[in-house]
Amino acid sequence: MSEMGFFTDVTLCIGCKACEVACKQWNQLPSDGFALSGDSYDNTGRLSSTTWRHVAFVEQMDRETPAASRWMMMSDVCKHCTNAGCFEACPTGAIVRNEFGDVYVQPDVCNGCGYCVPSCPFGVVAVQQSSGVAQKCTLCYDRQKDGLEPACAKSCPTDSITFGPVEELRAKAEARVEALRSQGREAHLYGVDGEETRDVGPLNAFFLIPDRPEVFNLPPKPVLPSKFQPEAYAVGLLAAMTMTVVGISVFRGFREGSA
Amino acid sequence: METKPQQPAQRHGSEYQAAGQFSPDAVAASMQRNDGGFGRGQDTYYDHPVLRKAHWRWEIVAYFFVGGASAASAALASIAHLFGDPDDEALVRNGRYAALAGSAISSVLLVKDLGRPERFLNMLRIFKLKSPMSVGVYALMTFATTSGFAALEQARADGVIGADPFGWVPRRPRVAAHAVSAAFMACYTGVLLSATAIPVWYRGRRHVPAIFVLSGAATGCALQNALIALFGGSPRTSKKLETIELLAALAEAALLWDYERAAGDPGKALFAGERGRKLKTYTLGLGIAVPTLLSLPSVLSKKRPEKPHRLRTLLTAACALIGGYVLRECVVYAGRDSADDPRAYLRHPE
Repeated sequence: MSEMGFFTDVTLCIGCKACEVACKQWNQLPSDGFALSGDSYDNTGRLSSTTWRHVAFVEQMDRETPAASRWMMMSDVCKHCTNAGCFEACPTGAIVRNEFGDVYVQPDVCNGCGYCVPSCPFGVVAVQQSSGVAQKCTLCYDRQKDGLEPACAKSCPTDSITFGPVEELRAKAEARVEALRSQGREAHLYGVDGEETRDVGPLNAFFLIPDRPEVFNLPPKPVLPSKFQPEAYAVGLLAAMTMTVVGISVFRGFREGSA
Repeated sequence: METKPQQPAQRHGSEYQAAGQFSPDAVAASMQRNDGGFGRGQDTYYDHPVLRKAHWRWEIVAYFFVGGASAASAALASIAHLFGDPDDEALVRNGRYAALAGSAISSVLLVKDLGRPERFLNMLRIFKLKSPMSVGVYALMTFATTSGFAALEQARADGVIGADPFGWVPRRPRVAAHAVSAAFMACYTGVLLSATAIPVWYRGRRHVPAIFVLSGAATGCALQNALIALFGGSPRTSKKLETIELLAALAEAALLWDYERAAGDPGKALFAGERGRKLKTYTLGLGIAVPTLLSLPSVLSKKRPEKPHRLRTLLTAACALIGGYVLRECVVYAGRDSADDPRAYLRHPE
């Protein structure tokens, strides 16, 4: 079976947040409370253990030429990386890659150690206080098993979020980039073959963005934490061996010197 | 952009309300903050964090501290047993019992920190070399097991139990296994932090694991010296411990200095501001400089060591132990600030 994923096109998003609501409803995620951020019409802030889709409102106001101002909405989601930091970090095997090629946290296996949380290069997965386990987008595993598309994609009124086999989505995304560029508009794919895929590989949930990734809080070069391990182990073991040799020399030195 | 006021840690939902977001001051601050983000060229999304911080609380700080000190105690006991003199007997005994107590406390702390402690055993259903958390759980299990064997052997030697049920295992491999598992236990905690996406931690991947090992060695020596001062032992053993502690502490200070230099801007979460002051006062000052200065005369002296002053030994040990604890605390909590600072990650890609 081919891998399934999301293509999220920022140029089509109207910021209605239907995806956020549909996700919460389908997955029965608790409310985050009612409050205003004071930043923009985005009062959610970011993805969390109880928010698996988040619509960011990027306001670029130009004081000199107001007509050049733009307002971009981007529905963020778990990227379902090819090389997933959370997956590698999980010590219980709760995080698996399922038959649809997506990164899934088995809620009945996770013991809430929380190590996946700082290991995610996109800051997606989080431990929820009430359930005590790590939670994130499942790419509606249950719906996919029944042949349905995920709730967010189903509810998206402009097809800014599309769901399907990743290969097909990529071809569609590239055609869309071409179309936009021919209109003289800026368009980049995030998560297909750019610098951002250096460590984490192509993303099963990728984006079309009309500006630099930082503007949407997407890291230009996300890191895969496991690549730091060889150096870290080498340095730590070297220090431990050095201290052992120092200890042995001190104890032996005293014996020979018999002070 | 650089002069923009740092936005407080990311808040979610009702936390905005709890944080007094609707007060006139908060609204004014928000307007000023957002103004800086207007126009093309903004470099984050309202300074919202990109990464997520680990929930780790004091349990993990204490786990790193106890694990380091008890691993060093085990290693010292093994070295003293294999290479020491008969008058190092007190160190062998204290070190073995301390290792068992430490590994037991460590296990409890680790389980207590889980979101679902009753599912601790789920960690033992797989072994994953790529996950330092998985490797670490097995390191702790191995260390606790070998510490148990060593404590049994000691209890038999002390006449507490009649026979050691594992007495048939050859002595040297057994002692060596204890030392090796202890060494690994001391080193993996630094790897656990370095192998994450948190900038201040992964920028320290060439330092943090070694710093934790050295700090563990120094606090282990301090702990053993305190035990000798309390329950008796040879002054010569104390001098050996002081010598090892001095070398470990000096190396630790050098590595901390190099870590600050190598980490650059993202290192500010640890080395700047209040946390930097705390680290410098308690770890470098109280934990390293004070014990070094106090023990230097006796370490350098050629004379046969005399019985050290008990109160002085205990105070020196307390300083070193506080320094070691504060080091773990600062490094672990610096990860929270580093995760909350989007620029540390977006602007300084690895």
